[in-house]
Amino acid sequence: MNAPSADSRTVRAARPRAARLHPLTFVVGAVRELLALLAAGAAGLVVGGLSTAFYFTLAGLAFGLVVHVATWATFTYTLYDDRLELRRSLIGRSVKAIPRDRIRGVDVSAALPHWLLRLAIVHIDAGADGGEGVLNAVSRQEAERLRLLLTGRTVSPEEPVRAPERVLARIRPRWFVYAPLSGAYLLTPFAVAGSFLGTLYNLGDDLGFITRERVESVSHDVVGLPTAAVVAAAAMVVLAMPVMSVVAFALFNWDFTVYERDGSVVARRGLVTRRTVSLERRRLRGVELADNPFERAAGVVRLGALVTGLGDAAHRGRLLPAAPRPVAADLAQRVLGSVPAPLVGHPPAARGRRVVRATAPPLGLAALALLAGRPAVACCCVALALLGVPLGLDRYRQLGHATDGARLTVRSGSLRRRQVVVEHGAVVGWRIRQTLFQRRLGLSTLVAAVGAGDGACPAVDMGQSDAVTFAARITPDWVAPFLDGGPGDR
Amino acid sequence: MRRTQEPGGGTSHPPRLRPPAHRVARRAIAQWAIESALLWGLASGLAWGAAAWVDGWDGARRWDGLLGWLGQRVWWLPVVVAAVGAVMTVLAPVWRYRVHRWEVSADVVYTRTGWFNREWLLVPVSRIQTVDTEQGWIERMLGLATIEINTASHAGSSEVAGLPVDVAARLAERLAHRAHDLRDDAT
Repeated sequence: MNAPSADSRTVRAARPRAARLHPLTFVVGAVRELLALLAAGAAGLVVGGLSTAFYFTLAGLAFGLVVHVATWATFTYTLYDDRLELRRSLIGRSVKAIPRDRIRGVDVSAALPHWLLRLAIVHIDAGADGGEGVLNAVSRQEAERLRLLLTGRTVSPEEPVRAPERVLARIRPRWFVYAPLSGAYLLTPFAVAGSFLGTLYNLGDDLGFITRERVESVSHDVVGLPTAAVVAAAAMVVLAMPVMSVVAFALFNWDFTVYERDGSVVARRGLVTRRTVSLERRRLRGVELADNPFERAAGVVRLGALVTGLGDAAHRGRLLPAAPRPVAADLAQRVLGSVPAPLVGHPPAARGRRVVRATAPPLGLAALALLAGRPAVACCCVALALLGVPLGLDRYRQLGHATDGARLTVRSGSLRRRQVVVEHGAVVGWRIRQTLFQRRLGLSTLVAAVGAGDGACPAVDMGQSDAVTFAARITPDWVAPFLDGGPGDR
Repeated sequence: MRRTQEPGGGTSHPPRLRPPAHRVARRAIAQWAIESALLWGLASGLAWGAAAWVDGWDGARRWDGLLGWLGQRVWWLPVVVAAVGAVMTVLAPVWRYRVHRWEVSADVVYTRTGWFNREWLLVPVSRIQTVDTEQGWIERMLGLATIEINTASHAGSSEVAGLPVDVAARLAERLAHRAHDLRDDAT
């Protein structure tokens, strides 16, 4: 570490100077606590006047503010030619240096308080070995300047030239109605309501509002409600679910835009929290098309990017949250290249295997339940096994693989179908897996190891020799030396 | 959907991978047998404890109504576990020894592992990130070592267990050097 000596010289000599976060940062930091505490305080006044607990929370608030101010005063960041240094010296000193050539993505986002104060959070992602840095928060102009400096390496800081943006895809408001098709958004309102109620309960508990009698009286009131009212409330909730899911979807994905700017693919989205994720093009290894049976029926698909060294890829690698298939295919082609088609199906022997694998677990449970003398449970399990038959058949129908000389694609799954498209150059190894049962059927599973996404693209239950041929077609140099046609040899 | 019809090399038989050239050390059988014996011994001990608990050494027969037919025969559990363990300890290591093979040629590491289920793994040296050698206490006793080959993907990382120490050390060094020379930025 030569940081201290080099630092004292260069700071005076040249451009790199230590910068602070935006002064309003502590306001943003405190806003969340403030809101919660204000709500609790107001409730406290209404219910039982100022209690001791309330004074304690006020003291806590003051302490929180002091900590926020102190954190702000002791945190600086400095941009050098080769690295970004984050120094913090509140308790002990720590210097974090992120080499600029390791930086893989800069992600600018803003929650509601940030947005109101014209601030932004900058996340700097430097892969697994460089760690990551967060600047919470800087002004929006500064965030944009940093993003340009840290990602576009050629831009000089004196004249931050805005590289031309080329819009690749943009969400249409019409697509918001696809939200109920994906289960995740149906449940979002419940998750939000649950966490809100939980917070409220905890706060109330801390302040001593929640007593046993109150809880009991509330539950007594609920039990005492007429059945019709309960049924009506349940129906309302069920009816509200799709509507709420559309609202949640719109909040997260408002004006979802994917554009291209100086070697990066940038996705910008969100209504309240505006989020920008830039994915460096040369680290983009492939894309993933995912859907479920409902989305399949409606011709809708979700598009994600497979990027090396991207943390939280499921959220940050998203390229389209829900879009008609042609639009998604078009975007996939623009960011990666055409999706190889048509897919080659897998041998009929794979069908039986899919069906067996879908039905065997419930059947096994049914047998156990029967032995344990629980015929009712056994019947339920058998019913589940029957449902497994069409599921297994569909899983077989969805299996497929293809390559077009530059990219390969594999598809599997039914309830959550995934089609992965990966560049040939991204493959770092091949794994062929064969169980005893697969060997009897002449099948094997070929896994393309890829250093992006979750690391593996499995082509499930390919024909034994098809798997070898497929791998040999994509990387002949690696496979050919080990090929052997001799049927007697094993 | 249509079936794969590859033009292939025009040969009469479909292409398949030949087994890698080298076997692992014969002592590896002993290593796997010891490991298996320890593991299954522990498992049957646990099963015996569980059976005793269900049967109720303190007089209270638990789960009597719940498990029905199974509840009456709970003492089968440790017996079955021990029997399976014995078979596995005798059979699996030999089977494993027959399957485990490795080879490094044409700058590709080619391994075959497993026993009941088999796995073939092809990793080009140019995509290797790190090469580690490891020795557990049983391996130290037997003079064996495991080589771990890591790539950017978990699926592309392989392990060759049961190599003699000197072979493993030489191989690891060679691979590390070669990987350094060939390293390309594919990941």
